[in-house]
Amino acid sequence: MSQFTQQVILGLLLGGVYVAVALGFSLVWGILNIVNLAHGALVIVGSYITWVLFTRLHIDPFLSLPVDALALFVIGYALQRGVINRVIRAPLLFTFLLTFGINLVIVSLLLLIFTGDFRSVTPAYSGSGLHLGGIVIPYIRLGGLAAAMVLAGILWVVLNRTRSGAAILAVGADRDAAQLVGIDLRHMYALTFAIGAAFAGVAGGIISTFQSITPTAGDPYTLQAFVVVILGGLGRVSATVVGGLAFGLIEVLGQSAPRLGSGYANAIAFVVLVVVLVVRPRGLLGRLA
Amino acid sequence: MSVRRAAYAVAGLALAFVVLAPLTSIDAAQQAGLPLLTDKLWFRIATTVAMFVVMASAWNIIGGLTGYASFGNVAFFGLGAYTAGVVVTNLGLPFALALVLAPLVAAAFAVIVGIPLLRLRGHYFAVATLGVGVAVGEVVNNLEPLGAATGLFLPIVRSDLLFFYLMLGAALLAVLTTWVILRTRFGYGLLAIRENEEAAAVIGVNTTFYKVAAFCIAAALTGIAGAIFAQWNSFINQDNAFAISDNVQMILMAVIGGTGTVLGPVAGAISLELIIQTLAGGGSGSVFSQIGLGVLLAVCVIFIPRGVIDFFGGRSRLSLRYFRQTLRETSA
Repeated sequence: MSQFTQQVILGLLLGGVYVAVALGFSLVWGILNIVNLAHGALVIVGSYITWVLFTRLHIDPFLSLPVDALALFVIGYALQRGVINRVIRAPLLFTFLLTFGINLVIVSLLLLIFTGDFRSVTPAYSGSGLHLGGIVIPYIRLGGLAAAMVLAGILWVVLNRTRSGAAILAVGADRDAAQLVGIDLRHMYALTFAIGAAFAGVAGGIISTFQSITPTAGDPYTLQAFVVVILGGLGRVSATVVGGLAFGLIEVLGQSAPRLGSGYANAIAFVVLVVVLVVRPRGLLGRLA
Repeated sequence: MSVRRAAYAVAGLALAFVVLAPLTSIDAAQQAGLPLLTDKLWFRIATTVAMFVVMASAWNIIGGLTGYASFGNVAFFGLGAYTAGVVVTNLGLPFALALVLAPLVAAAFAVIVGIPLLRLRGHYFAVATLGVGVAVGEVVNNLEPLGAATGLFLPIVRSDLLFFYLMLGAALLAVLTTWVILRTRFGYGLLAIRENEEAAAVIGVNTTFYKVAAFCIAAALTGIAGAIFAQWNSFINQDNAFAISDNVQMILMAVIGGTGTVLGPVAGAISLELIIQTLAGGGSGSVFSQIGLGVLLAVCVIFIPRGVIDFFGGRSRLSLRYFRQTLRETSA
């Protein structure tokens, strides 16, 4: 029984990471109608920033999260304004290909700068955890979950309580109408993508605390972010939170099933994806399109 | 002389060279003192180009004609390769049998995943098929009989000429298939689905059957390429048989050349593969070729979204105005 409880807790903790990864992805997809295949690469850029700050300046990984957000915000704004804005009205195959190209370039640049070696961030408390009657909860994973929930809260406040957030939602609802009431579309596209990238960067910082990072470590996260958004539903912050936690649970419980090992993470993700798309295409909490 | 006629002339010359050049390397020709037109590297590159012509043309059938952008075609390539691996290595049967079985296995798999997935559209279909490619590769990577993470080794067959002509044959088959499809009722049905699926259904196109059939044909062609690749390379594993970057390359080739046309994917495959080979051969390693591919993707998508066939096709002249116009059509 305690074995099972442990698995459930680990699942929810992993789910927190997926929430962090999927929030920005979901925002960009919902508002800009772009499935950003470079999302995983942006996540890993955040990881490397945290790693550099940790190894060179000995800054605690959780304290470097705002730095990740700021750096990725700038990169994201420039990417959308300079490059992606140029194909935003093209058929979706083109935005797909374009973001894949951006992914290739970012991953290759990371390879050039940091080489393919495994890098890890190991603060003093990384091995310790909370002991509760036979169950162990690692502090870093708990910190990651907390950070993810703070992120979700920030996104909800930005979207629902600020003027820019209202403008972003208006762009997502109807671009032409938004332009008619005086919203600067180019700026809003760039701002939306920048927020998405900033959230990716924070997710990357969280990931670096419990996983060794390489330039290609982000690729699985793009597929997983997609599954989380499908599972939860598009267009709501709460849906992403529920989808992420549910997917973390499914993955951990699925891998602990007999005869399945950790080698099947992507296969499980894909099965969940297909089942949800066939049975309930709008996701657990999604609105009807 | 029209652009069209010039293109046919160039294509004819290229085909003649492609067929004649390898022949000068066989013993009889060399004894007769014919000048050698080729070397080993040329064979490798030409075979690779032919392989991508198969994959890009096959992708074009589902992605270009039917409008379903599949990011999982590489799964068919991998399944074809592993079918050949199992037939030749595990069962010890002749390679010719693998050439027959590989397209059947790939097509059967296309039916199984196609029926649920082809109900999805747009992003959903694209990423679901991306998931197929990743997941099938991962499952293969975990199965002991298939060599797991080590991969499968096939007995080495040393014959550059054989594999070049096999791939060339597969490429011709793929191009011919596209040409035939575009001239049949089936092809018109696929185009109708691409333009407006509801309307196609209303005028009596059995959309599910048409889509699954197109997916199957694409899968069978890609599976053949995979089987030939397995025997040619004599080693297959998850990385070379299920490479997602191969899938993106075939799409890019079709897009660069012009989706929905017969010769577009061929032009795209030849030009892009030569560019990639040049970038990789520059001695700077694969990192720069990856960066080059990424930048090339961005440039193509932004500036020539309708492909080079349209670009040089006479409807528009090669001018700055063309770029400005395509930019205006698609940008914010």
